[in-house]
Amino acid sequence: MDERPRILVVDDEQQIVRALTVNLQAIGYRVDSATSGEEAIRSAADHRPDAVILDLGLPGMSGLDVIQGLRGWTDIPIIVLSVREAESEKIAVLDAGADDYVTKPFGMGELLARLRAALRRRYDTDLLAPVIATKDFIIDLAAKRVTTGSGEEVRLTPTEWGIVEVLAKNQGRLVSQVQLLKEVWGPTYGEETNYLRVFMAQIRRKLEPEPALPRYFITEPGMGYRFEDGT
Amino acid sequence: MTPRPGSLEEAGRYRSVMERGRLRVFLGAASGVGKTFAMLEEGRRLLRQGRDVVIGVVEAHDRPDILTLAADFERVAATDPAGGGHLDTRAVIRRAPEVALVDELARTNPEGSTHKKRWQDVEDLLDAGIDVFSTLNVQNLESLNDVVFKITGIREQETIADNVVRRLADVELVDASPDGMQERFSAGKIIDAALVDAATGNYFRQGSLSALRELALSWTADRVDDALVEYRSEQGIEQPWQTRERIVVGLTGERGADIVIRRAARLALRSRAELVGVHIRSTRGGARDDRLLAEQRALLRDFGGEYHELVGDDVASALLAFAKAENATQIVLGTTRRARTWERFRPSPAMRVVREAGAIDVNLIPLEDLARDRTVRWGPGGALRVQRRAFAWLTTAAGLPLLTVLLLVFREHIALENVLLVYLLAAVGVGMIGGAQPAVVCAASGFLLANWYFTPPLLTWKIDDAGHLFSLFAFLLVASAVGFLVGRATRRSAEAFRARAQAEALAATTASLHPGLSADASAVTRRIRDVFSMNAAAVLRHTPDGWERLAAVGTTILGRPEDATDVIPLTDDTVLALSGGSLTGDDRRVLRAFAAQMAQALERERLEREAAGAEALAETDRLRTALLDAVSHDLRTPLATIMASVTSLLETDVDWSREQTRAFLQAILDETTRLNRMVGRLLDASRVQAGAVHVFVAAVGIDEVVSSALAGLGIPADRVDLDIADSLPPVLTDPALAERAVANLIENAVAWSPDDGCVRVTAGKVADRIDLRIIDRGPGIDPTQRESVFQPFQRLGDAPRGAGVGLGMAVARGFLTAMGHELSIEDTPGGGTSMVISFRPARQVQTQPVETRAVGHG
Repeated sequence: MDERPRILVVDDEQQIVRALTVNLQAIGYRVDSATSGEEAIRSAADHRPDAVILDLGLPGMSGLDVIQGLRGWTDIPIIVLSVREAESEKIAVLDAGADDYVTKPFGMGELLARLRAALRRRYDTDLLAPVIATKDFIIDLAAKRVTTGSGEEVRLTPTEWGIVEVLAKNQGRLVSQVQLLKEVWGPTYGEETNYLRVFMAQIRRKLEPEPALPRYFITEPGMGYRFEDGT
Repeated sequence: MTPRPGSLEEAGRYRSVMERGRLRVFLGAASGVGKTFAMLEEGRRLLRQGRDVVIGVVEAHDRPDILTLAADFERVAATDPAGGGHLDTRAVIRRAPEVALVDELARTNPEGSTHKKRWQDVEDLLDAGIDVFSTLNVQNLESLNDVVFKITGIREQETIADNVVRRLADVELVDASPDGMQERFSAGKIIDAALVDAATGNYFRQGSLSALRELALSWTADRVDDALVEYRSEQGIEQPWQTRERIVVGLTGERGADIVIRRAARLALRSRAELVGVHIRSTRGGARDDRLLAEQRALLRDFGGEYHELVGDDVASALLAFAKAENATQIVLGTTRRARTWERFRPSPAMRVVREAGAIDVNLIPLEDLARDRTVRWGPGGALRVQRRAFAWLTTAAGLPLLTVLLLVFREHIALENVLLVYLLAAVGVGMIGGAQPAVVCAASGFLLANWYFTPPLLTWKIDDAGHLFSLFAFLLVASAVGFLVGRATRRSAEAFRARAQAEALAATTASLHPGLSADASAVTRRIRDVFSMNAAAVLRHTPDGWERLAAVGTTILGRPEDATDVIPLTDDTVLALSGGSLTGDDRRVLRAFAAQMAQALERERLEREAAGAEALAETDRLRTALLDAVSHDLRTPLATIMASVTSLLETDVDWSREQTRAFLQAILDETTRLNRMVGRLLDASRVQAGAVHVFVAAVGIDEVVSSALAGLGIPADRVDLDIADSLPPVLTDPALAERAVANLIENAVAWSPDDGCVRVTAGKVADRIDLRIIDRGPGIDPTQRESVFQPFQRLGDAPRGAGVGLGMAVARGFLTAMGHELSIEDTPGGGTSMVISFRPARQVQTQPVETRAVGHG
């Protein structure tokens, strides 16, 4: 059986579908495509893809409906393509269960990075490199510590480490505020987003070269946080 | 005064025999008002008079003007060479000058000093017989600390108890206009621009400065009562003058009555009431002096009062009716003192107002020096009111018999002709008082009385002498005719007076209509009702669907001309409808003349409306043209680059090197990005224009909004200086819209900054809001141009490239307005523009985050 990951691309814009298909195939994915919501649901049921790239501006059945339809029976990663003007929709689809979003127009590199991050969650969380090295610091997930490039250990409080760990394990992926609160503080939390702001600020002061213009610990205002490796 | 020997012991000895020193405090509303300057100037004045003045301590803040002034004085240096900024009390006492200048009375002394506060040192100086000049800001006063905090958002730490200042000092207010202060602040003269943050920026806002100045004035005048302070803090400082009451003040036009207006204005100020002045224009003239009245009107206007004029002879009733109609809570009147007995027989209007005021409080202000100016209210020239006619009849009924008795006493000595002349005189007099009717009756009575008592045979109706008979009938004719004529003339002149009074009232009304201001129809209608004592008045316009009401006042609302008792046409399609009054012919004439004027006003209003409509169309047209220009130029430029690059790459004849290919691709990417941003902005602008901005408010940190705005802009880090404490509470805003608005403002600020300039972005808590300031050092924006930068497609002068299609500012303001945030433009001290966005803080679940052991780890 073909082990290559299978991706379903849903967009009513033929040009985009073509560009994505060519790129994804070139990297080694198998690609299915659909141009409407109904077709997408059918295709997903038939081919059981490993991830879905879904445009929100579909004719007929809306992107939101497609997500709800898919989430009824599968938890495969869904990456949403949306235009900038649809912020409210963006939040709604994330709430409905989409994993991440990319704003149109996008750079191919960005989309592929998001896709890789999403697939990683599905396949090999355990295989994730136990050490994440950036230009400015190294996160050692096994040893639970962070060192600077020169090898000095950065002292983090348990909560700070908790946040860094969750974000690093989800490297490249959007982690919602609620998700982060629940994972670090406990399942009864979810409203206390101001905690996150304060701790994120502390973490940035300790790890970012320019805390006011973060490069690694990115805030997506109103949505959540994302750890990027700075490349 | 001779210089004193300089030891403490000597000084102590002097103290026992000497008077205690005096303290003069220069009180200012705000930092930078010029207190220290004023103190030094006063000191220098004394110095020039040969007095011995030294500086104990002056905090120059490195301001050149102060340093220059201070150079003239001897300084008593602090013993501690490092502590240039503190007062060495012992050294000053030892030096024993006449006057010592000690800046900042409320200052706290450094650790280890004899006293905790500087004012205690000053007290020592005073005890030593040294006069002290000092300075103080209003926010340093204990009792005002809270209020000042509410106004400025800055909590003053160094305070001084009010009674200390009051006990020790003569307070002198150093006043400066808020405008001037702001100018000096903007010029960077008060505080260095680099130190300006949200709080200081707010402090030097016009509103804050005015409020502080008012506080300083009030305090100095010893008029800050606790209730007021409390009230203001309870109400929140945003609406300090919420109107609750109405005070009606009677304007008489009499000499000295301006006291009444001032008093009423004070009352109004204290209870934050609305001030309404009313003048009852009597048909009798009375003591009114038009020039004085005009002055009083101007005074009323200065106090922010509204002016009304009514016509009515019964001053008390007219005033009360007006006050009740206006929902007045208080009436203020001037009153002259009169003998008590006189007051009993004929109460003054003021007393009648007091008696009949009901629930309305009446304040009577005695006018002492008015008595000599009082004009005679009785006598000829009066109008024909009912009272006067009654008086005329009374005179006829009672006066004639009296006169007859008198004449009978002297019958022996008076010829019949003289008797008749006396009766004639009586008839003329009655005519002048009561008009034609009583005059004729008086003449007839005179005829009968003369016949009965004075023509032989006496006490009969018979007349023997033909000469007497002739005289009697001639008297009857002459007396009737003269009485009738005199009476009619009197009535005429009264009517003329009334008409003049109305005309003057209307003239006052029209004069108050600004030319060009669309005749405020409701105000005018209201005056018409006032002047002609109508129940209701309305201006109605005929439309295909019936009558449209342009303005209406009164007890009933007139909707159609059919409901009115009087209808006066104004223009082709508008009428003035009146109800409830009775108009005399003269009234109508005056009213019609006025209606013509109102018609003109309405016509002008219509023309202006049309002109405005045409202007709006022209504006739309201008926008459309600008949009087309923008799209054709700004969108086509990147498209041209993209097309050129792509066609180059597709060219089969040329073999591009790897670097060349990359350069083309990079160009395509850059231009596409630029194009994308422009399209986004056009879409944003069209959403703003169409009012289709949907807002989703959440609690977000300002630092996060700014960071992601900066991330999206891709501006080099060294062009922006970020200074936002992450301890600031989160704000309520739409994260995405706020990010775009802030990004646009920062992009604009960077575009306008000099090439090596840096845009400062700072945020801070101010009172109950959080201000984000985006501060550039660019050329600045002229205050008159500030509104226009928010117009779409607006580029001031030669806008630098990168300013996009001139939509950024329009979008920023559109978004911020949609979210309910305030955006204002201020000058950056020292040059440049500061954009200030005011956010509301979010209610926080818990301010202190808990450090929790992470779940699922370790």
